[in-house]
Amino acid sequence: MKPAPFDYRSPASVDETLPLLGPDSTVLAGGQSLVPLLNLRLARPELVVDVNGISELDYIRSDDGPLRIGAMTRQVTLERSELVRPRWPLLHDAIVFVGHPQIRSRGTVGGSVAHADPAAELPAALVALDARIHLRSAGGARSVAAGDFFRGALYTAREPHELLVELEVPEQPEDARSGFAEHARTHGDFATAGAAVVVAPGGHAAIALFGAGPVPARANAAERALAEGADPREAAALAAEGIDGEHRRALCAELVRRAIEEATE
Amino acid sequence: MTAELVGRPVRRREDERILRGRTRYLDDIDPPGAAHAAFVRSPFAHARIARITVPDELAGLIGVITASDLDGHARDLPVQGFEDGRVSEEGHPLLARDEVRYAGQPVAAVLAESRAVAEDAAELLEVDYEPLAPVLDARRSEDTLTHWHRVRGDVEGLFGSAAHVVRASHSLPRLAPVPMEARGAIASYDQAGDMLTVWVSAQDSHRQLAGLAAVLGRPEDSIHVIVPDVGGAFGSKGAPAPETMLVAAAAIISGRTVKWTEDREENFVASYQGRGMEADVELALDDDARILAIRARIHADLGGYLMPTTAIPAHTTAMLMCGVYDIPAADVEVVGRRTNKVPTGPYRGAGRPEAAYFLECTVDVAARRLGIDPLELRRRNLIRELPYETALGWTYDSGDYRRCLDLAEELVEPEERSDEERVVGTGFGMYVERAGGLFETAEAELLPGGGLLVRSGSSPHGQGHDTTFAQIAAERLGVALEDVELRFGDSAEVPRGVGTFASRSVAMGGSAVVQAVDALKEKCARVAARLRGTSPDEVDWRSMSLAEVAGAEPGLRASARFESELVFSSGAYGAVVEIERRTGRLRVLRLAAVDDAGTIVNPLLAEGQVIGGTAQGLGQCLVEEAAYDEEGNPTFASFVGYSLLTAAEMPPVITEFVESPSPLNPLGAKGIGEGGAIGTPAAVANAVADALGGVRVDPPFTEEKLWSALREANS
Repeated sequence: MKPAPFDYRSPASVDETLPLLGPDSTVLAGGQSLVPLLNLRLARPELVVDVNGISELDYIRSDDGPLRIGAMTRQVTLERSELVRPRWPLLHDAIVFVGHPQIRSRGTVGGSVAHADPAAELPAALVALDARIHLRSAGGARSVAAGDFFRGALYTAREPHELLVELEVPEQPEDARSGFAEHARTHGDFATAGAAVVVAPGGHAAIALFGAGPVPARANAAERALAEGADPREAAALAAEGIDGEHRRALCAELVRRAIEEATE
Repeated sequence: MTAELVGRPVRRREDERILRGRTRYLDDIDPPGAAHAAFVRSPFAHARIARITVPDELAGLIGVITASDLDGHARDLPVQGFEDGRVSEEGHPLLARDEVRYAGQPVAAVLAESRAVAEDAAELLEVDYEPLAPVLDARRSEDTLTHWHRVRGDVEGLFGSAAHVVRASHSLPRLAPVPMEARGAIASYDQAGDMLTVWVSAQDSHRQLAGLAAVLGRPEDSIHVIVPDVGGAFGSKGAPAPETMLVAAAAIISGRTVKWTEDREENFVASYQGRGMEADVELALDDDARILAIRARIHADLGGYLMPTTAIPAHTTAMLMCGVYDIPAADVEVVGRRTNKVPTGPYRGAGRPEAAYFLECTVDVAARRLGIDPLELRRRNLIRELPYETALGWTYDSGDYRRCLDLAEELVEPEERSDEERVVGTGFGMYVERAGGLFETAEAELLPGGGLLVRSGSSPHGQGHDTTFAQIAAERLGVALEDVELRFGDSAEVPRGVGTFASRSVAMGGSAVVQAVDALKEKCARVAARLRGTSPDEVDWRSMSLAEVAGAEPGLRASARFESELVFSSGAYGAVVEIERRTGRLRVLRLAAVDDAGTIVNPLLAEGQVIGGTAQGLGQCLVEEAAYDEEGNPTFASFVGYSLLTAAEMPPVITEFVESPSPLNPLGAKGIGEGGAIGTPAAVANAVADALGGVRVDPPFTEEKLWSALREANS
């Protein structure tokens, strides 16, 4: 279990990084997914660009309203952030389900989002929170709505020459509350399925399911029903509609119900 | 000068060294200039090998070894049989010749200057495979590798006239052993002295040594085996592995020191697995629910080849099919078939969890059919007088099965309730386990200054020998624990022993220590008597010290070889479980583990063994399954596909010991290494069936299975 040979660079800034990116390179952030993939020789890049030395991507701030999280912020930093927990509790509730403390102390928020595992918690929370993903390349910068960013299992809207630099999470409606529920075989294991929910007075409802399909997806019909006063069980059944497999459907419905109840209790 | 040490919960002396990282595992040994080996393994479950093309030059590549290179250097691994049965003699080849029979089978070995280069070269090796249809279901295999059948008593007549006949079929999937430290070996050959030295992560040195001698055709005294610190095995490092043999052959062929430490993926696909048995069990009962006879057909999924000990577990299962019950007649058959999967072998429990599961689940089916409390049915049938020879021919040496069951019931606090959210059930599983047997050795030496050095033929890989054996030795000689030093694992230093498996270390190895120390003590007494001018019986140790004896006669030593028949540990386990109605999720709310391992030398370590065993038993219940897809590809080759329990899933485990001393050894000890893994699956399975209103499901008890079973139970 040794990786195939590759070249290695460790630039000190975003500007130094961008010219190195392309179809034959891979960005090494926390390495919690990439390193096993390299060792299994499932990932075989020619160049590994290690961005762990880029301190300018390690921040959490909300000076101008929305929450801005630098891509190289360690998951544990987000978990412990006193800025995040009171105002975006869903991020905290989701991040504590990511692996084990050892993994979160190394894993980065940007890495988790760029990797786009269908069972990952953070992408689902970002989809529920209407976050935006900021990308930069040698040619410029752009941002993509989280709901459009995840394109398939381990596949995103990020182009090979782009670097994921920031997650921007908008301020949530007044008195918004959230709920998060997931199911895994064992503590810290990949989720079998899960749900992230945000509700607010005045008809705001966001429900994102993960692990149920290739990408975290909003359950639009269920959101509308919930906003119009459906009870959690009805909304949950709607959210799980169309999921393959009777047991899986029942499991997803139950997880959505728990997340809604947590948000509405 | 006696110190009461046996029976005391002494903390493990070895832990400080282990926790400080001062251990030396196989991969910590780095002989300078060693070549590193990587294996090319079959990606197919079954295929013919048409051609192997070795890569051209690659910087750092030393060479490639294929089966033909081994001609004249190594034979296939030997196969161990069992009494009164038929076992194929065809062993596992070190490298596949013209056919591969499981995905993961070694096809070639690559030697290179580093493991990374060896893996690069392994990728470049081209093997032309012609895939063949794999056989994955043991019941459908036409290739019988082992067969055993025993009938005792008028089974047919008793079934014909019985008031009740109960039939049930059960299945236990294959499990991966997953020791924390994977397998590995280093071999070095000194041509001038014709001496082969092999470091191997193994459960003992002498079975490895015998395997190397047989496979390489070398005299045993030309082989030196060193077992360093070992990070777990659970049975999987007992029998010699093809890779270890190959590493040794490669050292001889290449003239280089060769190192192989496998990665986790190799460990998953190529290390022999446990369980993989199914059984059809029938009980004949009279009107009072007394079991008159048992009939069982056991189907074992043995894999592509017989590893040296592949045949053993199913035979153990068969011999234990009467369990803790007084069943006068039995007809038990084992059919072990070839399948296109990695071979099976002994894994913690090694046939005993299967026997307990097959029998105890059938007993619960019978209780439900007869409308009688499962505990009452058990109590009516328990063996009460020991020693007791079962219908199948093993003699249980000691035990108090009724006491174990009563305690398990009391400790687990049975519960049965259902509400809108969940169903709750209680179940019990009893077991009797063969332990010990064969022989074990020890050598005791008086050190200058009066300390005691004990060399043991038994060898630890996590059990805590350094503590328990020191307790035994210190108490026998009347010295402090700190004055006893233990040595294990080096075939050039320790006496030839058997090893650590089958819950045998204390009963066999510990008893050998007792005898060696007793013999040394006698020698000391003779020296002391000479010094004081008294007879050995009259030596007053208050005025005489071992240091004086050691000074007067340096190098006093004594050795012992302790032999005994099998001893039989036993126990009763109780479990209370709850199943969520909406998801099918199973939670084990609590587990009571009552084990009778005879005299307990160290209750702290014994409890640790029980809890570790229950964790593995619960893993089997909740998540573990080494599954193959329809083409015979392993779906469990990493921790993504194969899940182990974490501390978060462990329920409270209430442990208790019943101590019925064995009459067969000086300690009165039996075995405690496997009880948790043996008793737990049966108890949890019966609790699950209780919660499901009698619907039976086999492990692992996944949400999906239980959710479907709940719907079946409710319809």
